[in-house]
Parts: sequence; structure tokens; C-alpha cells
Amino acid sequence: MELSESVQRGLQSLADQSAFDHGSFQVLVDVSFRSLLSSHGDPTVLDQPEFNQIDQILLKQSHTAAVTFILEAVKQNADQSTISSSLEELTFSADRTEIFYSAYQKHKKDLERLLASIGRGLPHITDASWRLEYHMKNGQVDKVNDSFYLISLNTENEGSSEDINFTCTVEQLQDLVGKLKDAAKTMEKASQM
Amino acid sequence: MLLVLSEEHKEHLSFLPQVDAAVVGEFGRIALEFLRRGASPKVYEGAARKLCVPVEMVQHGVEGLMFLMTESSKHMISEVDFLDSVLVLGFSEELNQMLLQLYLQHHSQIRSILSHLPSSMPAYHNLEWRLDVQLARRSVRQQLIPMLTMRVHLTRSDGHSDYNSRILQTDPSTLLHLISTLEAALAAMKTSHARRILRNIK
Repeated sequence: MELSESVQRGLQSLADQSAFDHGSFQVLVDVSFRSLLSSHGDPTVLDQPEFNQIDQILLKQSHTAAVTFILEAVKQNADQSTISSSLEELTFSADRTEIFYSAYQKHKKDLERLLASIGRGLPHITDASWRLEYHMKNGQVDKVNDSFYLISLNTENEGSSEDINFTCTVEQLQDLVGKLKDAAKTMEKASQM
Repeated sequence: MLLVLSEEHKEHLSFLPQVDAAVVGEFGRIALEFLRRGASPKVYEGAARKLCVPVEMVQHGVEGLMFLMTESSKHMISEVDFLDSVLVLGFSEELNQMLLQLYLQHHSQIRSILSHLPSSMPAYHNLEWRLDVQLARRSVRQQLIPMLTMRVHLTRSDGHSDYNSRILQTDPSTLLHLISTLEAALAAMKTSHARRILRNIK
């Protein structure tokens, strides 16, 4: 894994037994994962009693480095050997590597989901609703006597939802459904490859 | 169904017997152009000058004719009812037949123009799709997410003949849900309830 110099230095401090004893190391690892997974930023996240003896700047640097390392590992879908060798290069003891890796395994899925939800995309269809109507007449024309469908596609994009509404005749709806069924068949075939 | 013509309307149309049959035919043509493209004052002025009558008379005559045509087309009046409706104007048999011919020749065209008037919702035109697999994004690498990307073509809601298209995505399970939902919609047309209504309201 490629890490910047400041991240490397921060992690090296975390590995250092004289800077972080066993208890404070464990707490910092927990706090790092927790601060990534919580939905609100917590300014008091580093106000743990175990950190009282530690230089506050060093503490912040190590926390930032740990958080960056975690995100990069999740992003790259890093496996155990990648993480272990990166940490060992940064002077982590086998014990501390193990603690870090088991926390990573425990939270990896949730972090993946969080990362996947960041970013822009196309509007995503979540549902469809329909109405069948019979158009009898309107202000300009009498005796229309036509049936038609009103379709509404509910879409979501980055939290905001939008409905796409349109009308169609029976034939057009059959066309639409036919094409969707083709797509589904293709999808099924592809999944068996 | 008989058309009921207002006094004002009858007055406007009373201009027609005073001119030649050819002129009535010409007015009919102008009236249809009016429906298709809107009124053109120059045409009225030209006609008024040739016939030596005031412009308003020409304009009212054309508009009256047009209104007669649109009302008849709107209600899809039968031949008999049309003739009975214009009887009240007291025109000659020849003129009545001319008006009837004008109606018969153009009523479906007029109906089609009228049906574009009400503002409509976007209507489905076409759907294009493709199957994609998302492999990575800026925040996460090594993904394997199948997606259906679609382009839905809809007509524009102001009735212009060009199309709007929207690009949308969905996942495999939602796709199956969409298919079953819309198939249920199609099935609704085949119920006895729907068939009964469609058969009886004509």
C-alpha cells in the first residue's frame, strides 16, 4: 500500500511502545474505527482517559494516520498479508498488527458500504406505479374513448427522489415490458457465465 | 346531435350566401389554414379588397366557418345532423352541400389537430438498455456490481415532435420487481371489469 510520509510517521508513533502503551494503543484503534463509522463528527473523540499522558499533537497525528490507513485499506480491498506487511514495515509488533487486523475484519463490510455510497451516479429506479385510465372526452375533442396507462417511475439520486411520469398505450407498455424482459434474460445469462 | 349556433355566429355566416361558390371554397381553405397555422391578416385584407367588402366581414365569415367545422368535428356529428344544423341558416341547398363536403373531407384532420391542443403529459416513445458491471469508483476499488442502464425516450410535454430522454439505472432485483409490476398493469386491461367499460362506453 502506498502511504504518504505523514501517515507513515503517524503510524510509526502508534507502533512505538513508549509513546502508546498497550492500553492506549487498543483504545486508539477502537476510536479510529468508531470515528469513521459514526454518522456525526465528534470533537471529543480523542478525550479518552487513556490518552492523558500522551502528547496531544502526537495523538492527533497518529489518529489521522490510522484513519487514513484504514480507509485506504478498505478502498483497495486489502487482504491480510498486505495489511500485515505494511504495518510490520512501519515497526508494528506482531501483537499490535493482530489487534489492528481483527478490528479491520470486524468493521470492513460497514466501511465498504459507507465508501460505496459516496459519489455521484445516475438516478436509480426504486419502484414503479401505474394507473389504467379511460379517456372519454376533453375540452377540445369529444368522444375520444381511448384507454391509456399513466406510469410513474420512482427514482433516487444521492438522497433526493424524483418521479418520472409518462403516459403510454397498451402497445407501448407491452413494448416497454418486452424490452425489460429481454434485459432480465440477458442479465440471467450473464450471471451464469 | 344537433349543433346550436348562436345569433352572432349565424350573423357571421350570413356573409357566405352573398358570394360565389368558388369564394366559399376559398374561405374554407383559409379557415383550415387558420386552424393549422393561425390567422393571417394579409389574407383577409386581400380577399376583402377583391370582393369589395369590409375586412371584418371576411374575417367573421372565415372564423364562423372555422368554428362550424371545429364544433362539428369535435362532436363527430353525422351527415344528417350536420345538414339539419345548417338548415337554420337558411342557405341554398347548393351551399349546404358545399359546407357538408368541406366537413366530410376535413373532419378527421381537424380532429387530429384539436387533439393536440390539450397539454399532455410526456408519453413513452422508446427504451434502450444495456447491462453494465461496475468495477470501481473513486472511493472504492474492486467492486463487482451488475447494473442495468436505460435510456427512456419520452415525447416532450408541450406537444412538440422532438423527444426528451432520461438516463436511468436499476439493479437486477428491482428490474424483476418492475417487470412483475408492469405485467400486472397489462393484466388489468384484460379483466372483465375493464372489458365491460371499454365495450359499453362509446
